[in-house]
Amino acid sequence: MNHTRLVHNVGVRALEWLHAHRDGFRLESDVDPEVGFLERFKPVGELALICAVLFREGVAGSRQATLARQLIDHAWCHTLDGGRMLVRGQHVEPLSPIPFEVYLPFRELGYSSPEAERAFRLNQRLDSFAALEMSPVRRLGLSAFQRRFGVPPRPPEAELVGATWLGRSPEPWTVEGHIAYDITHTVFHLTDWGERPEGLPAGIADYLALWLPAWLDDWLDLRRWDLLGELLVVDACLPDPTFDVRAWEGFAAAQQPDGAMPAVRTMPEGDPDEVFDIVYHPTLVAAFASVLATSRALTRLARTPS
Amino acid sequence: MEQSGASTRLAGAVQDLMSELVSALRSGDRFRLAGRVMDGDGPEAAPDPALAAVRVVGADAVLPSVLLRCAPPEPADLTVFAKAVHAWPPPADAPPTSLWSHWAMRRALLRLDASLDGAPGDGSEPGAQWLDEAPWQFLTHQLAVLAPLALPGEDSAVTRVARGRPVDVARGFVRAVRRRDWLQAAGAGRWLTLLDGVPETLGLDTGLEFVAQMGGEDARVAFQVRAAQLLRTRVPV
Repeated sequence: MNHTRLVHNVGVRALEWLHAHRDGFRLESDVDPEVGFLERFKPVGELALICAVLFREGVAGSRQATLARQLIDHAWCHTLDGGRMLVRGQHVEPLSPIPFEVYLPFRELGYSSPEAERAFRLNQRLDSFAALEMSPVRRLGLSAFQRRFGVPPRPPEAELVGATWLGRSPEPWTVEGHIAYDITHTVFHLTDWGERPEGLPAGIADYLALWLPAWLDDWLDLRRWDLLGELLVVDACLPDPTFDVRAWEGFAAAQQPDGAMPAVRTMPEGDPDEVFDIVYHPTLVAAFASVLATSRALTRLARTPS
Repeated sequence: MEQSGASTRLAGAVQDLMSELVSALRSGDRFRLAGRVMDGDGPEAAPDPALAAVRVVGADAVLPSVLLRCAPPEPADLTVFAKAVHAWPPPADAPPTSLWSHWAMRRALLRLDASLDGAPGDGSEPGAQWLDEAPWQFLTHQLAVLAPLALPGEDSAVTRVARGRPVDVARGFVRAVRRRDWLQAAGAGRWLTLLDGVPETLGLDTGLEFVAQMGGEDARVAFQVRAAQLLRTRVPV
């Protein structure tokens, strides 16, 4: 099969699964306070981010675009109750950045909650918000979102890059799972989730071009599909993506006929909600990697002199 | 069971020999090959594991003499080395790594005492075509198996392939460390010390120390790391 078609089809199938299982994106109103009401917001924010990428890149077919629009509408209208759940979340934990992080991609897609925005703007002016202790890569993501939202990033992103693992270009043979996720997210934040590959500083792009092939090889062999998918996104964010054929073929082969992508090795079995919670993320990642790689491959094709 | 007993004895003999060679690399003292090997003419009846170990270790069995330029091996040691060269000539259909490993042993022998050669053939290099277009994973694996060829000033076809692919070998080193394949990592690391164009961000020096720390209980790993460190700090011949 043509490689770009294989890459594209992974995303088509992933979106079919996400659409069919959209009720899995659910909040738990009566959750145990020890667990926290905001715990289940993350999947909703990730869904919105990936749908935003899909609309932005413009490589989706009409069915895909319709499914994505229905998905994001469902998440906003039902899961977030038109934004009211974000307001409630912010009331429960005023200093938490999570409602803001979930809101931003919805806002960029045209949804709006003035009440939530008022809360975000006030809370983010607090010194306490800027002082919240978090890992450098998480802080980098938050600053990037502040810039996109139109408030001053505190601190500016440029001050944060050097504090991330990736920003220091350490020994590539020390990378393990947690470090690898820090790497992928640093790339997501620096490129605005693949929108601006030029946001990757040249030194970091060179470093990734050198070592990413070794990491792709390793996590393919370990069948860690969730991480492999994120690394394939990183590849698509590089100035010269490799579209690693072996990694993509392995990734595509791991996908289930209904479009679900297992997180590690094979599909889990059991209660549907629990299965959803395990595989929604790798399936979102599959859609993300597919859309971005397809878009980059088509861009390259368009630029190739005939 | 007999087979597995024989392989255990051979593995033990390889570890013993490698431990002696690591000590020689560290101290610069003389090492001995004779004394471990039984008298007799070869592998006919019951293969002598100590002699077979010399063949397994290959040209590295005399590396301290080559690398440290210390006193040449005693004649009795060279005789043992020659015996290992002659006892296991690679068959015509041997894999390229066997052909090259034997070639490297014979070349070392010719350099140390040509009078002991006597092997058939003119000693010309085997081909390196099997490495043409080799993916970096396979390339690194094969180079690590052929670590005895990684010597300063060598110009074999295998060395030329390695010189052309420093980034690929560096990726292979990363892969080997990630997989906890310390022997492959040590062999790849030894090659990398000889190559120009190895990316700075690899962190080869600490990488070699890391490999020794994690896998150095295996004398073969300790030996390759020590050899790599000596190559790194010494002016090429």
